[in-house]
Amino acid sequence: MEKKSLWAFGTREVVYAAIGAALYAVLSVATNFLQIPAAANVSIRPAVAIPMFFGLAFGPWVGLIAGFVGNLISDLVSGYGFWLWWDLGNGLMGFVPGLVYLTMTDFRLTGDLVKAEIMVVVGAAVGMFVASVSEIWVSGIDFTTSMATNFVPSFISNVVNGLILVPILMIAYAAIRGRSGR
Amino acid sequence: MIVSFNYRNRSSLLERFDPRARWFFSILVLFSITLFWDIRFLLFFLVLTLGQYALARLTWRETRRAWMFVIFLMSMMVIVNTLFTSSGAIGAVMRGTHTVVQFKITIPVVGWVYHFNLTVERLWFALTQVVRILSISALFIVIPFTMDPRQYGATFRGMGIPDRLAYTLDLAFRFVPTLGRDFQVTLDAQRARGYEVEKVEGGLFAQIRKMAPLVVPVTMNAILSGEDYANAMDLRCFGLHQRTWIEHLQYHRYDYVLIGFGVLLLGGSIVLSLFGYSDFWVPAALIP
Repeated sequence: MEKKSLWAFGTREVVYAAIGAALYAVLSVATNFLQIPAAANVSIRPAVAIPMFFGLAFGPWVGLIAGFVGNLISDLVSGYGFWLWWDLGNGLMGFVPGLVYLTMTDFRLTGDLVKAEIMVVVGAAVGMFVASVSEIWVSGIDFTTSMATNFVPSFISNVVNGLILVPILMIAYAAIRGRSGR
Repeated sequence: MIVSFNYRNRSSLLERFDPRARWFFSILVLFSITLFWDIRFLLFFLVLTLGQYALARLTWRETRRAWMFVIFLMSMMVIVNTLFTSSGAIGAVMRGTHTVVQFKITIPVVGWVYHFNLTVERLWFALTQVVRILSISALFIVIPFTMDPRQYGATFRGMGIPDRLAYTLDLAFRFVPTLGRDFQVTLDAQRARGYEVEKVEGGLFAQIRKMAPLVVPVTMNAILSGEDYANAMDLRCFGLHQRTWIEHLQYHRYDYVLIGFGVLLLGGSIVLSLFGYSDFWVPAALIP
Protein backbone atom coordinates (compact mmCIF):
# COMPACT_ATOMS: atom_id res chain seq x y z
CA MET A 1 0.00 0.00 0.00
CA GLU A 2 1.37 3.40 -0.95
CA LYS A 3 2.13 5.79 1.85
CA LYS A 4 -0.04 8.85 1.94
CA SER A 5 0.80 12.25 3.34
CA LEU A 6 2.60 12.38 6.68
CA TRP A 7 -0.35 14.21 8.21
CA ALA A 8 -3.19 12.15 6.76
CA PHE A 9 -5.84 11.03 9.25
CA GLY A 10 -8.32 8.87 7.37
CA THR A 11 -10.21 5.75 8.31
CA ARG A 12 -7.10 3.60 8.50
CA GLU A 13 -5.37 6.04 10.82
CA VAL A 14 -8.45 6.25 13.04
CA VAL A 15 -8.55 2.47 13.43
CA TYR A 16 -4.84 2.03 14.05
CA ALA A 17 -4.73 4.91 16.50
CA ALA A 18 -7.57 3.30 18.45
CA ILE A 19 -5.90 -0.11 18.34
CA GLY A 20 -2.57 1.38 19.41
CA ALA A 21 -4.19 3.19 22.32
CA ALA A 22 -6.07 0.11 23.50
CA LEU A 23 -2.97 -2.07 23.11
CA TYR A 24 -0.85 0.37 25.09
CA ALA A 25 -3.42 0.42 27.87
CA VAL A 26 -3.89 -3.35 28.02
CA LEU A 27 -0.18 -4.16 27.90
CA SER A 28 0.62 -1.48 30.52
CA VAL A 29 -1.86 -2.97 32.94
CA ALA A 30 -0.82 -6.52 32.10
CA THR A 31 2.88 -5.89 32.69
CA ASN A 32 2.47 -3.97 35.94
CA PHE A 33 4.00 -6.89 37.77
CA LEU A 34 7.42 -6.28 36.22
CA GLN A 35 9.75 -4.56 38.66
CA ILE A 36 13.22 -3.16 38.16
CA PRO A 37 15.57 -5.39 40.16
CA ALA A 38 16.68 -3.77 43.43
CA ALA A 39 14.52 -0.67 42.84
CA ALA A 40 11.55 -0.65 45.19
CA ASN A 41 8.17 0.24 43.75
CA VAL A 42 9.46 1.08 40.29
CA SER A 43 7.98 -0.97 37.47
CA ILE A 44 9.25 -1.15 33.90
CA ARG A 45 6.78 -0.71 31.10
CA PRO A 46 7.49 -2.68 27.92
CA ALA A 47 4.24 -1.34 26.50
CA VAL A 48 5.89 2.03 25.74
CA ALA A 49 7.21 0.38 22.59
CA ILE A 50 3.64 0.38 21.22
CA PRO A 51 3.15 4.14 20.59
CA MET A 52 6.71 4.37 19.30
CA PHE A 53 6.16 1.50 16.87
CA PHE A 54 2.72 2.71 15.78
CA GLY A 55 4.17 6.14 15.05
CA LEU A 56 6.87 4.60 12.87
CA ALA A 57 4.44 2.28 11.09
CA PHE A 58 1.39 4.50 10.61
CA GLY A 59 2.43 8.12 11.05
CA PRO A 60 2.85 10.78 13.73
CA TRP A 61 -0.86 11.32 14.43
CA VAL A 62 -1.35 7.60 15.09
CA GLY A 63 1.69 7.57 17.39
CA LEU A 64 0.48 10.66 19.23
CA ILE A 65 -3.00 9.28 19.86
CA ALA A 66 -1.75 5.80 20.72
CA GLY A 67 0.48 7.29 23.41
CA PHE A 68 -1.86 10.00 24.71
CA VAL A 69 -5.11 8.04 24.75
CA GLY A 70 -3.37 4.80 25.69
CA ASN A 71 -1.82 6.34 28.78
CA LEU A 72 -5.14 7.99 29.61
CA ILE A 73 -7.03 4.68 29.40
CA SER A 74 -4.27 2.89 31.34
CA ASP A 75 -4.64 5.40 34.18
CA LEU A 76 -8.42 5.01 34.01
CA VAL A 77 -8.26 1.23 34.29
CA SER A 78 -5.68 1.44 37.06
CA GLY A 79 -7.79 4.06 38.87
CA TYR A 80 -4.98 6.61 39.03
CA GLY A 81 -7.11 9.50 37.81
CA PHE A 82 -6.00 11.92 35.11
CA TRP A 83 -2.50 13.26 34.64
CA LEU A 84 -2.89 15.15 31.40
CA TRP A 85 0.71 16.33 31.19
CA TRP A 86 1.95 12.76 31.41
CA ASP A 87 -0.59 11.74 28.76
CA LEU A 88 0.87 14.47 26.55
CA GLY A 89 4.40 13.21 27.25
CA ASN A 90 3.44 9.69 26.24
CA GLY A 91 1.76 11.07 23.14
CA LEU A 92 4.94 12.86 22.12
CA MET A 93 6.84 9.62 22.61
CA GLY A 94 4.75 8.20 19.77
CA PHE A 95 4.55 11.39 17.71
CA VAL A 96 8.27 12.05 17.36
CA PRO A 97 9.21 8.64 15.86
CA GLY A 98 6.27 9.07 13.47
CA LEU A 99 7.99 12.04 11.86
CA VAL A 100 10.21 9.61 9.91
CA TYR A 101 7.22 7.51 8.78
CA LEU A 102 7.52 8.46 5.12
CA THR A 103 11.24 7.68 5.00
CA MET A 104 10.78 4.07 6.18
CA THR A 105 10.95 1.77 3.17
CA ASP A 106 11.48 -1.74 4.51
CA PHE A 107 11.40 -2.36 8.26
CA ARG A 108 13.96 -5.12 7.87
CA LEU A 109 16.67 -2.87 6.44
CA THR A 110 19.48 -1.92 8.78
CA GLY A 111 19.13 1.73 7.80
CA ASP A 112 15.45 1.82 8.78
CA LEU A 113 16.15 0.02 12.04
CA VAL A 114 18.92 2.45 12.96
CA LYS A 115 16.69 5.39 12.07
CA ALA A 116 13.94 3.95 14.26
CA GLU A 117 16.28 3.45 17.21
CA ILE A 118 17.46 7.05 16.98
CA MET A 119 13.89 8.32 16.90
CA VAL A 120 12.99 6.10 19.85
CA VAL A 121 15.64 7.86 21.93
CA VAL A 122 14.64 11.31 20.71
CA GLY A 123 10.94 10.58 21.24
CA ALA A 124 11.46 9.32 24.77
CA ALA A 125 13.64 12.34 25.58
CA VAL A 126 11.15 14.87 24.20
CA GLY A 127 8.10 13.20 25.70
CA MET A 128 9.46 12.66 29.16
CA PHE A 129 11.11 16.09 29.22
CA VAL A 130 7.81 17.82 28.42
CA ALA A 131 6.00 15.78 31.08
CA SER A 132 8.71 16.42 33.68
CA VAL A 133 8.87 20.15 32.98
CA SER A 134 5.06 20.33 33.22
CA GLU A 135 5.38 18.80 36.65
CA ILE A 136 7.37 21.89 37.68
CA TRP A 137 4.37 24.06 36.84
CA VAL A 138 1.95 21.80 38.71
CA SER A 139 3.92 20.73 41.77
CA GLY A 140 6.27 23.69 42.21
CA ILE A 141 9.37 21.53 42.32
CA ASP A 142 12.50 22.95 40.80
CA PHE A 143 14.13 21.84 37.57
CA THR A 144 16.77 19.68 39.25
CA THR A 145 14.20 17.78 41.31
CA SER A 146 12.00 17.28 38.28
CA MET A 147 14.87 15.88 36.27
CA ALA A 148 16.05 13.64 39.10
CA THR A 149 12.69 12.26 40.22
CA ASN A 150 10.68 12.34 37.00
CA PHE A 151 12.74 12.64 33.85
CA VAL A 152 15.72 10.36 34.48
CA PRO A 153 13.82 7.27 35.75
CA SER A 154 11.10 7.49 33.10
CA PHE A 155 13.47 8.32 30.24
CA ILE A 156 15.86 5.48 30.99
CA SER A 157 13.05 2.96 31.42
CA ASN A 158 11.28 4.01 28.23
CA VAL A 159 14.43 4.16 26.13
CA VAL A 160 15.56 0.69 27.17
CA ASN A 161 12.12 -0.79 26.47
CA GLY A 162 11.90 1.01 23.14
CA LEU A 163 15.38 0.11 21.95
CA ILE A 164 14.80 -3.58 22.63
CA LEU A 165 11.19 -4.07 21.57
CA VAL A 166 10.63 -1.63 18.69
CA PRO A 167 13.03 -3.39 16.27
CA ILE A 168 11.44 -6.74 17.13
CA LEU A 169 8.00 -5.31 16.35
CA MET A 170 9.28 -3.75 13.13
CA ILE A 171 10.70 -7.02 11.83
CA ALA A 172 7.54 -8.92 12.78
CA TYR A 173 5.39 -6.28 11.05
CA ALA A 174 7.51 -6.43 7.90
CA ALA A 175 6.97 -10.19 7.81
CA ILE A 176 3.19 -10.04 8.09
CA ARG A 177 2.98 -7.13 5.68
CA GLY A 178 4.98 -9.07 3.14
CA ARG A 179 2.92 -12.24 3.54
CA SER A 180 -0.47 -10.58 3.46
CA GLY A 181 0.30 -8.25 0.56
CA ARG A 182 -0.67 -5.15 2.57
CA MET B 1 -7.25 -11.27 31.76
CA ILE B 2 -10.20 -9.15 32.75
CA VAL B 3 -9.57 -5.51 31.91
CA SER B 4 -12.42 -3.58 33.39
CA PHE B 5 -13.05 0.05 34.07
CA ASN B 6 -13.63 1.25 37.60
CA TYR B 7 -16.86 3.03 36.80
CA ARG B 8 -20.14 1.86 38.26
CA ASN B 9 -23.35 3.74 38.80
CA ARG B 10 -23.33 5.13 42.34
CA SER B 11 -26.35 7.42 41.93
CA SER B 12 -24.23 10.17 43.41
CA LEU B 13 -24.93 13.87 43.01
CA LEU B 14 -21.77 14.21 40.94
CA GLU B 15 -23.00 11.80 38.29
CA ARG B 16 -26.08 13.90 37.60
CA PHE B 17 -23.93 16.57 36.01
CA ASP B 18 -23.24 16.45 32.30
CA PRO B 19 -19.72 15.00 31.81
CA ARG B 20 -18.82 17.93 29.58
CA ALA B 21 -19.70 20.38 32.37
CA ARG B 22 -17.60 18.35 34.79
CA TRP B 23 -14.61 18.38 32.45
CA PHE B 24 -14.87 22.13 31.88
CA PHE B 25 -15.16 22.72 35.62
CA SER B 26 -12.20 20.47 36.41
CA ILE B 27 -9.94 22.15 33.86
CA LEU B 28 -10.97 25.64 35.04
CA VAL B 29 -10.27 24.72 38.66
CA LEU B 30 -6.93 23.14 37.68
CA PHE B 31 -5.76 26.39 36.09
CA SER B 32 -7.06 28.34 39.09
CA ILE B 33 -5.09 26.19 41.52
CA THR B 34 -1.87 26.54 39.53
CA LEU B 35 -2.01 30.34 39.86
CA PHE B 36 -1.56 30.27 43.65
CA TRP B 37 1.33 29.72 46.02
CA ASP B 38 -0.49 31.24 49.00
CA ILE B 39 -1.57 28.34 51.19
CA ARG B 40 -4.66 30.21 52.40
CA PHE B 41 -6.15 30.16 48.90
CA LEU B 42 -4.89 26.65 48.24
CA LEU B 43 -6.69 25.41 51.35
CA PHE B 44 -9.90 26.80 49.88
CA PHE B 45 -9.33 24.76 46.72
CA LEU B 46 -8.44 21.71 48.78
CA VAL B 47 -11.76 21.95 50.62
CA LEU B 48 -13.56 22.45 47.29
CA THR B 49 -11.98 19.41 45.63
CA LEU B 50 -12.38 17.21 48.70
CA GLY B 51 -16.01 18.28 48.76
CA GLN B 52 -16.36 17.07 45.18
CA TYR B 53 -14.61 13.85 46.22
CA ALA B 54 -17.09 13.38 49.06
CA LEU B 55 -20.01 13.90 46.67
CA ALA B 56 -18.73 11.05 44.51
CA ARG B 57 -19.41 8.51 47.29
CA LEU B 58 -16.14 6.70 46.72
CA THR B 59 -14.80 4.26 49.27
CA TRP B 60 -11.23 4.11 50.52
CA ARG B 61 -10.95 0.57 49.23
CA GLU B 62 -11.75 1.67 45.68
CA THR B 63 -9.35 4.58 45.59
CA ARG B 64 -6.64 3.31 47.92
CA ARG B 65 -4.31 2.38 45.10
CA ALA B 66 -4.64 5.77 43.43
CA TRP B 67 -4.02 7.64 46.68
CA MET B 68 -0.98 5.48 47.54
CA PHE B 69 0.45 6.26 44.12
CA VAL B 70 -0.16 10.00 44.59
CA ILE B 71 1.27 10.04 48.11
CA PHE B 72 4.37 8.13 47.05
CA LEU B 73 5.11 10.40 44.09
CA MET B 74 4.32 13.55 46.05
CA SER B 75 6.52 12.51 48.96
CA MET B 76 9.43 11.72 46.71
CA MET B 77 9.22 15.05 44.87
CA VAL B 78 8.65 17.22 47.94
CA ILE B 79 11.33 15.55 50.05
CA VAL B 80 13.96 15.74 47.32
CA ASN B 81 13.01 19.31 46.47
CA THR B 82 12.95 20.51 50.08
CA LEU B 83 15.94 18.67 51.50
CA PHE B 84 18.32 18.20 48.62
CA THR B 85 17.80 20.65 45.77
CA SER B 86 15.62 23.78 46.08
CA SER B 87 18.13 25.39 43.80
CA GLY B 88 15.34 26.75 41.59
CA ALA B 89 12.40 27.11 43.91
CA ILE B 90 10.37 30.31 43.79
CA GLY B 91 12.06 33.52 44.84
CA ALA B 92 10.53 34.01 48.28
CA VAL B 93 11.64 30.54 49.31
CA MET B 94 15.19 31.11 48.08
CA ARG B 95 15.41 34.45 49.93
CA GLY B 96 14.41 32.80 53.18
CA THR B 97 17.09 33.08 55.82
CA HIS B 98 15.41 31.76 58.95
CA THR B 99 17.38 28.62 59.55
CA VAL B 100 15.91 25.63 61.32
CA VAL B 101 18.70 23.12 60.77
CA GLN B 102 22.15 23.69 59.31
CA PHE B 103 25.16 21.43 58.94
CA LYS B 104 27.97 20.41 56.59
CA ILE B 105 28.82 16.94 55.32
CA THR B 106 32.16 16.17 53.75
CA ILE B 107 31.94 13.31 51.27
CA PRO B 108 35.00 11.08 51.65
CA VAL B 109 37.33 10.21 48.76
CA VAL B 110 36.15 13.09 46.53
CA GLY B 111 36.29 15.67 49.31
CA TRP B 112 33.08 17.43 48.27
CA VAL B 113 31.39 19.48 50.98
CA TYR B 114 27.60 19.44 51.07
CA HIS B 115 26.01 22.40 52.89
CA PHE B 116 22.59 21.57 54.28
CA ASN B 117 20.46 24.55 55.26
CA LEU B 118 16.80 23.96 56.06
CA THR B 119 14.85 27.18 56.53
CA VAL B 120 11.37 28.00 57.78
CA GLU B 121 10.49 29.20 54.29
CA ARG B 122 11.46 25.88 52.69
CA LEU B 123 9.48 23.85 55.20
CA TRP B 124 6.42 26.03 54.71
CA PHE B 125 6.84 25.76 50.94
CA ALA B 126 6.89 21.98 51.24
CA LEU B 127 3.57 22.12 53.09
CA THR B 128 2.18 24.45 50.41
CA GLN B 129 3.27 22.01 47.71
CA VAL B 130 1.52 19.14 49.50
CA VAL B 131 -1.75 21.08 49.71
CA ARG B 132 -1.52 22.04 46.03
CA ILE B 133 -0.76 18.52 44.79
CA LEU B 134 -3.50 16.99 46.95
CA SER B 135 -6.02 19.52 45.59
CA ILE B 136 -5.20 18.64 41.99
CA SER B 137 -5.21 14.90 42.72
CA ALA B 138 -8.60 15.01 44.47
CA LEU B 139 -9.97 16.95 41.49
CA PHE B 140 -9.14 14.26 38.94
CA ILE B 141 -9.11 10.99 40.90
CA VAL B 142 -12.92 10.95 40.93
CA ILE B 143 -13.24 10.94 37.14
CA PRO B 144 -12.46 7.26 36.33
CA PHE B 145 -14.87 6.14 39.04
CA THR B 146 -17.77 8.45 38.28
CA MET B 147 -17.78 8.92 34.52
CA ASP B 148 -19.22 6.25 32.21
CA PRO B 149 -16.53 5.19 29.69
CA ARG B 150 -19.25 4.76 27.04
CA GLN B 151 -19.82 8.50 27.12
CA TYR B 152 -16.24 9.63 26.59
CA GLY B 153 -16.52 9.82 22.81
CA ALA B 154 -19.74 11.84 22.85
CA THR B 155 -18.37 13.97 25.69
CA PHE B 156 -15.21 15.01 23.92
CA ARG B 157 -17.10 15.57 20.67
CA GLY B 158 -19.47 17.82 22.59
CA MET B 159 -16.47 19.74 23.91
CA GLY B 160 -15.40 20.63 20.39
CA ILE B 161 -12.91 17.88 19.63
CA PRO B 162 -13.03 16.88 15.94
CA ASP B 163 -15.35 14.04 15.01
CA ARG B 164 -12.66 11.57 13.92
CA LEU B 165 -10.60 12.13 17.04
CA ALA B 166 -13.62 11.69 19.31
CA TYR B 167 -14.54 8.52 17.46
CA THR B 168 -10.96 7.24 17.81
CA LEU B 169 -11.29 7.64 21.57
CA ASP B 170 -14.62 5.83 21.56
CA LEU B 171 -13.19 3.01 19.45
CA ALA B 172 -10.16 2.69 21.73
CA PHE B 173 -12.43 2.09 24.73
CA ARG B 174 -14.32 -0.55 22.78
CA PHE B 175 -11.12 -2.35 21.81
CA VAL B 176 -9.81 -2.62 25.39
CA PRO B 177 -11.83 -5.68 26.51
CA THR B 178 -11.24 -7.40 23.14
CA LEU B 179 -7.49 -6.93 23.28
CA GLY B 180 -7.47 -7.90 26.95
CA ARG B 181 -9.06 -11.18 25.98
CA ASP B 182 -6.60 -11.65 23.09
CA PHE B 183 -3.73 -11.00 25.48
CA GLN B 184 -5.01 -13.70 27.84
CA VAL B 185 -5.43 -16.19 24.99
CA THR B 186 -1.89 -15.49 23.79
CA LEU B 187 -0.50 -15.79 27.31
CA ASP B 188 -2.21 -19.15 27.81
CA ALA B 189 -0.99 -20.40 24.44
CA GLN B 190 2.57 -19.37 25.21
CA ARG B 191 2.39 -20.93 28.67
CA ALA B 192 1.32 -24.17 27.05
CA ARG B 193 4.59 -23.96 25.11
CA GLY B 194 6.67 -23.52 28.26
CA TYR B 195 6.72 -19.72 28.43
CA GLU B 196 6.89 -18.44 32.02
CA VAL B 197 6.45 -14.71 32.31
CA GLU B 198 6.15 -14.64 36.09
CA LYS B 199 9.62 -16.03 36.70
CA VAL B 200 11.85 -13.12 37.60
CA GLU B 201 15.07 -14.30 36.08
CA GLY B 202 17.88 -12.51 34.41
CA GLY B 203 18.68 -8.82 34.39
CA LEU B 204 16.60 -5.92 33.16
CA PHE B 205 17.32 -6.50 29.48
CA ALA B 206 16.51 -10.20 29.71
CA GLN B 207 13.19 -9.44 31.36
CA ILE B 208 12.22 -6.97 28.66
CA ARG B 209 13.26 -9.35 25.88
CA LYS B 210 11.15 -12.00 27.57
CA MET B 211 8.08 -9.89 26.91
CA ALA B 212 8.49 -10.17 23.13
CA PRO B 213 6.63 -13.54 22.82
CA LEU B 214 3.65 -11.81 24.43
CA VAL B 215 3.80 -8.34 22.92
CA VAL B 216 4.55 -9.30 19.32
CA PRO B 217 1.69 -11.78 18.62
CA VAL B 218 -0.92 -9.61 20.31
CA THR B 219 0.24 -6.53 18.41
CA MET B 220 0.43 -8.22 15.01
CA ASN B 221 -3.00 -9.85 15.42
CA ALA B 222 -4.47 -6.50 16.35
CA ILE B 223 -2.90 -4.83 13.30
CA LEU B 224 -4.20 -7.55 10.96
CA SER B 225 -7.71 -7.11 12.37
CA GLY B 226 -7.38 -3.38 11.94
CA GLU B 227 -7.37 -3.67 8.15
CA ASP B 228 -10.72 -5.46 8.29
CA TYR B 229 -12.20 -2.82 10.59
CA ALA B 230 -10.98 -0.02 8.33
CA ASN B 231 -12.46 -1.71 5.23
CA ALA B 232 -15.78 -2.26 7.01
CA MET B 233 -15.91 1.37 8.07
CA ASP B 234 -15.06 2.60 4.57
CA LEU B 235 -17.83 0.43 3.12
CA ARG B 236 -20.22 2.20 5.47
CA CYS B 237 -18.98 5.63 4.29
CA PHE B 238 -17.24 6.53 7.53
CA GLY B 239 -16.07 10.11 7.60
CA LEU B 240 -18.17 11.39 4.70
CA HIS B 241 -20.87 12.96 6.85
CA GLN B 242 -21.22 14.35 10.34
CA ARG B 243 -21.48 11.46 12.76
CA THR B 244 -24.28 10.96 15.28
CA TRP B 245 -23.75 9.27 18.64
CA ILE B 246 -25.75 6.70 20.56
CA GLU B 247 -25.09 8.57 23.80
CA HIS B 248 -27.03 11.80 23.72
CA LEU B 249 -25.85 14.41 26.18
CA GLN B 250 -27.97 17.35 27.22
CA TYR B 251 -27.09 20.32 29.39
CA HIS B 252 -29.35 21.22 32.29
CA ARG B 253 -29.48 24.45 34.25
CA TYR B 254 -27.25 23.13 36.99
CA ASP B 255 -24.59 22.23 34.38
CA TYR B 256 -24.45 25.86 33.29
CA VAL B 257 -24.24 26.89 36.95
CA LEU B 258 -21.29 24.53 37.43
CA ILE B 259 -19.46 25.88 34.36
CA GLY B 260 -20.26 29.45 35.41
CA PHE B 261 -18.87 28.77 38.88
CA GLY B 262 -15.67 27.43 37.31
CA VAL B 263 -15.33 30.51 35.10
CA LEU B 264 -15.87 32.77 38.12
CA LEU B 265 -13.22 30.88 40.07
CA LEU B 266 -10.68 31.22 37.29
CA GLY B 267 -11.55 34.87 36.66
CA GLY B 268 -11.27 35.67 40.35
CA SER B 269 -7.99 33.76 40.59
CA ILE B 270 -6.51 35.70 37.68
CA VAL B 271 -7.54 39.02 39.24
CA LEU B 272 -6.09 38.07 42.64
CA SER B 273 -2.92 36.91 40.94
CA LEU B 274 -2.54 40.18 39.03
CA PHE B 275 -2.84 42.13 42.30
CA GLY B 276 -0.16 40.01 43.93
CA TYR B 277 -2.34 38.01 46.29
CA SER B 278 -1.25 34.65 44.89
CA ASP B 279 2.38 34.87 45.94
CA PHE B 280 4.05 32.54 48.41
CA TRP B 281 3.14 33.45 52.02
CA VAL B 282 4.68 32.43 55.32
CA PRO B 283 2.82 33.16 58.59
CA ALA B 284 4.59 35.83 60.63
CA ALA B 285 4.25 33.68 63.74
CA LEU B 286 6.69 31.15 62.31
CA ILE B 287 9.41 33.70 61.66
CA PRO B 288 11.63 34.00 64.76
